[in-house]
Amino acid sequence: MLRPMAKKISAVDRARAAAAAKKGGSAPAGINRGVVLMVLAALVPFSLPTVVLVGFGMLPTLASWATEKGPNKYAFLCVGGLNFAGVFPYLFSLWFGVHTLDDAFRMLTDPIMLMTAYGCSAIGWGIYAGMPPMVASYLAASSQRRVNNLKAAQKKLIEDWGDEVSKKG
Amino acid sequence: MSEIDEAEVDIDPAEDGDGDDVKVEVVKQTGPPGVLRDRYTIRSNQPLPELSTPSADAFVAEDKRDPSRALFGLICKPELPPRVNAMRALKGVSTPGLMQLVEWGPMNWPPAGRQCMTVVYERPGGNRVMTNPRSDVPRIDEYQITKRVIEPLTAALKEMDSRGVPHRSIRPTNLFYADSNGERLAFGDCVSTPPAFDQPVLFETVESGMCTPIARGSGNHTEDFYSLGVTVAFLILGRNPVAGLSDDAILGMKIQQGSYNMLIGDERLPLPMIELLRGLLCDDGDQRWDAEDLDLWLSGRRMSPLQPRGEKRAARGFPFMGKEYFNGRELSQAMAKNWDQAIPPVVEGKLELWLRRAVEDKDKANVVAEVVRMALNSTTDKKSSTDLMLCKVLILLDQAAPIRYKGFNAMPDGFGSALAAVMASRGDTRLLTEIILREVPRLWFEMRGEYQPDNSLMESNFKELRSYLSQTGMGYGLERCLYELNDALPCQSLLLGEEYVVEVKELLPALNVAASKRADGKQIPVDRHIAAFLGARMRSDIDRNLTALSDSNPSVAMMGALNLFAVLQYRLGPESLPGLAAWVGVMIAPIVQGFHGREKRRELEKEVPRMVRKGSVVEIYNLLENSEERVRDEQEFAFAQAQYSAAEEEIKHIITETEERSVEADKIGRQTAAVTGIIVAMITASIVVISAVF
Repeated sequence: MLRPMAKKISAVDRARAAAAAKKGGSAPAGINRGVVLMVLAALVPFSLPTVVLVGFGMLPTLASWATEKGPNKYAFLCVGGLNFAGVFPYLFSLWFGVHTLDDAFRMLTDPIMLMTAYGCSAIGWGIYAGMPPMVASYLAASSQRRVNNLKAAQKKLIEDWGDEVSKKG
Repeated sequence: MSEIDEAEVDIDPAEDGDGDDVKVEVVKQTGPPGVLRDRYTIRSNQPLPELSTPSADAFVAEDKRDPSRALFGLICKPELPPRVNAMRALKGVSTPGLMQLVEWGPMNWPPAGRQCMTVVYERPGGNRVMTNPRSDVPRIDEYQITKRVIEPLTAALKEMDSRGVPHRSIRPTNLFYADSNGERLAFGDCVSTPPAFDQPVLFETVESGMCTPIARGSGNHTEDFYSLGVTVAFLILGRNPVAGLSDDAILGMKIQQGSYNMLIGDERLPLPMIELLRGLLCDDGDQRWDAEDLDLWLSGRRMSPLQPRGEKRAARGFPFMGKEYFNGRELSQAMAKNWDQAIPPVVEGKLELWLRRAVEDKDKANVVAEVVRMALNSTTDKKSSTDLMLCKVLILLDQAAPIRYKGFNAMPDGFGSALAAVMASRGDTRLLTEIILREVPRLWFEMRGEYQPDNSLMESNFKELRSYLSQTGMGYGLERCLYELNDALPCQSLLLGEEYVVEVKELLPALNVAASKRADGKQIPVDRHIAAFLGARMRSDIDRNLTALSDSNPSVAMMGALNLFAVLQYRLGPESLPGLAAWVGVMIAPIVQGFHGREKRRELEKEVPRMVRKGSVVEIYNLLENSEERVRDEQEFAFAQAQYSAAEEEIKHIITETEERSVEADKIGRQTAAVTGIIVAMITASIVVISAVF
């Protein structure tokens, strides 16, 4: 009797599974994540204003997390950091002011607050977009400087030993 | 005509056998005088044709210390090797029967524009005994000949014998009246040419007469006594008894009739004279009279005259080149003269048959048959094997004859002067080279049978020459053979210009002088002649230096030359040789460039001129030959090469890995941005909290 064809599993997936199994399996991680989510969900009724303010105020961070592709996904950290810097003063006044849903909505409808939160996240985007070329330029300049130093050293060697020093012995 | 004969056309004595017709024509030479050893002035404008020899012109000479002394100088021909060893031995010898050799040495001779070997003699009191070999000579009767001729000349020969130098130029045209009364005779010059070079065949033994004149060799005193016998015969007869005969005819008659019969024939002579002449003219060198026999004869003891013992005459003649020959000596001489024509009858076995049946010498016939069989079965070149075969056959036919090979006839000790003359006249040396390479002298020594101690020494010398000839590098080859064979030959190097260098100690000063006259500084101061000269003359082993000289790397070659010169300057001086040092200084560029370090090169280039001014080749050598410095330079250079190579690799890596670097930069940029964001968040939070608290 022919057995139904098993779904093909890539070698990479198998290696990952093996590594996970070695670590103790994926079940504990899933439990932890679920526990955290449940704790957070349980806290929601007690801090709904905070959730609303953070939820709406940190939307750019969520967007950056969701939209970024590729192996080096650091945009949410950069955007999130600055986004959080924009939101945190309001969040702090919410916590130490009147911690109500109304106040949270009032803040959310405050254009200054939105401008601060989203502006900071925009700055975060700017930093995130500008930093790699800056680092690349720095590295390129550094490499060029190294090349120049090496060439100068070679020139000195030629001065001391003649052109034949460039020939392999 | 063989190549050697052709090469020697210019240096052969007179063709007609007259040897030394003294020049009547006075060649008026002008120009400044030459000065020998700062003492003897040779007047180039006062020639003395009456004292000249066929190969050396005579000029008036003056002693600066004693102007009243009557002297004359003989200027040797540069293309002929003079007998320097004989000059050394005879200088200052004063004996009744010998013209006194006062001084000798190389001298700058203005008419020739170069240095020439010069010999200064005391002028004889009287004239030459015979000016032309064909003319009559004043007859000396049997009563006077003892006192006027035999006694003084025997004394001279004994003196020369004690010094180990045979005269080899004894003939009436080289005899002088030692005093104005003509009471006593004396031998003339014998050192300005190779031994017996100017001797007509008539005055030479059969064996020596067979030789090419330049290659007769110094031989020994028995040849002198033979020549004395012929000279005495001339003086007793008052004429040349064979004036109309050619050299070949004279030689043929000597072989057929014997020398005594040829010269005296039916002349009626007193018994003592017959006894004397038979003894001196004996064709067998072992039986010929020597000084002891002459002393006995002079003291009045009479012996029975020697009877000639001719070779056995064959029952029938051997036909060759339209003539019949009845003995082996005569036949071998004819075959040696007609080399190519002689091979067929030998190969066809006609000679063997003649020896077996007509001469009835079965042993010799068997040897000839074996020699021919071996030559025909030889796997090597047919021509060379038949040449060697004929050479062996000729030795068998006449074992006393000289080495005879393809028209070149030489005594082993005459080979050197022949080579010197051919090389000096830029002649073809192929035949001489062939003789050495094919070991013809060895055949001659082996097949002669009789053992002579000198032979084994000469045989080993020829073996050594063969090994030199088979090496082509500097210091070897034919040039080395030339100097090994002629221990008194001056160095023939063109680099020396006009300088005359006979001894090693004279080389550096000569190069020093030559250096100042040179326009072309690109030639290393050693050539094949100088290398061979040093190889032959230096007592220490310089093979390593000679190998270095032949190295294709100019630095190694120059270092080899520098080492040689430094050793010579250190051992023999002089202390300062600025000319040679400057020459060397120009040529050391390859050695300086042998150092890799530019700093070291600059240092050397700065130091060398100082040493050049000082004229010290030794110091230049020590400066350049510093093995520790050289090793350090090599090691540091290797390290520098490694450094350069590593830098090159890194540069290549930096340039080619841009893609990887941009990926890395992107990653680092993003991480940096993320960290920045986190830090900003933390700072903001901290500020807000702090501002709320305070």
